[in-house]
Amino acid sequence: MSKRFYYGNERESYSAARVRALEALLIEKGIIGSETVDKVLDYFETEMGPFNGAKLVARAWVDPEFKARLLADTTAAIAEMDFPTGMAGAEGENMAVVENTEGVHNVIVCTLCSCYPWPVLGLPPYWFKDPTFRARTVREPRAVLKEFGFPLEESTEVRVWDSSAQIRWFVLPERPKGTEGMSEEELAAHITPEAMMGVARVEVKA
Amino acid sequence: MQTKFEHFAATSLMGGSEHPPRQNGELMFDREWEERAFSIAISLSKKGYYEWESFRQQLIYSIAEWESAHCKDDSSYDSSWDYYQRWLLALERIVLGSSIISSEELEAKTNEFISREQQATSNS
Repeated sequence: MSKRFYYGNERESYSAARVRALEALLIEKGIIGSETVDKVLDYFETEMGPFNGAKLVARAWVDPEFKARLLADTTAAIAEMDFPTGMAGAEGENMAVVENTEGVHNVIVCTLCSCYPWPVLGLPPYWFKDPTFRARTVREPRAVLKEFGFPLEESTEVRVWDSSAQIRWFVLPERPKGTEGMSEEELAAHITPEAMMGVARVEVKA
Repeated sequence: MQTKFEHFAATSLMGGSEHPPRQNGELMFDREWEERAFSIAISLSKKGYYEWESFRQQLIYSIAEWESAHCKDDSSYDSSWDYYQRWLLALERIVLGSSIISSEELEAKTNEFISREQQATSNS
């Protein structure tokens, strides 16, 4: 979670006191525990566990030949990895990767059902299955990305990939600048499911 | 698929005027009280004191109220907009409305924190 601005005026101290008063009264009355608020926040901060997709992307960033194989035949390239059995996709399902470049940004969506490359990305987040999200991403991808705090340059082309039972897409995000010295493992730690869905970029936080 | 309540609550706000600010996909909080207000709203609904949808409607209403009082052509339109001020207002209303806390209690406690804060500042 990011904090960007500093506010310092009377309305601010009033709001801060108001929220503290609410929390204190709720704790006094036994409605919430003293840890409740922090627990909810922890959930949002640590929700992202390690996942297989991050390893694929990191490998592709450091190994151009692997990247070429991943783009050409995703399912076969995934099979090269040391993933638990079944992670290359269940029977009859093919996964395919689309690469983000400087001028082209890809987003994955599924308008028919919720075909999601879960072996690679983990379980789909709630909003991915939401009909409004799916419909709007197809209709107005730039507006949706802006709501995700990820506005695109006017000049960037957006491609929306609609998954189906036959092909499940995921995105190979751009490698952030300044990460040339990082190892595959270090890189993998920064790759989020959102980046591989195309609703965020990979960021390396200082 | 199992969905955690926290995830459901945060993502059900997407796609409308009431969506929380995000930065590169993640929820964005500028000030500490914002994340606490965010979390209190979710905690109380999770514990069943109100339906999440009721909070969402309250939030939509609080946002609409601000919008009807401000003109889009106003130069201060963007700078005076504050998402979490609206969130806090919606939270206060739903908490007071569901009789968990009385408005007198909330006033008294708020003033207690403000004077404590002022003392701390004048002592330092």
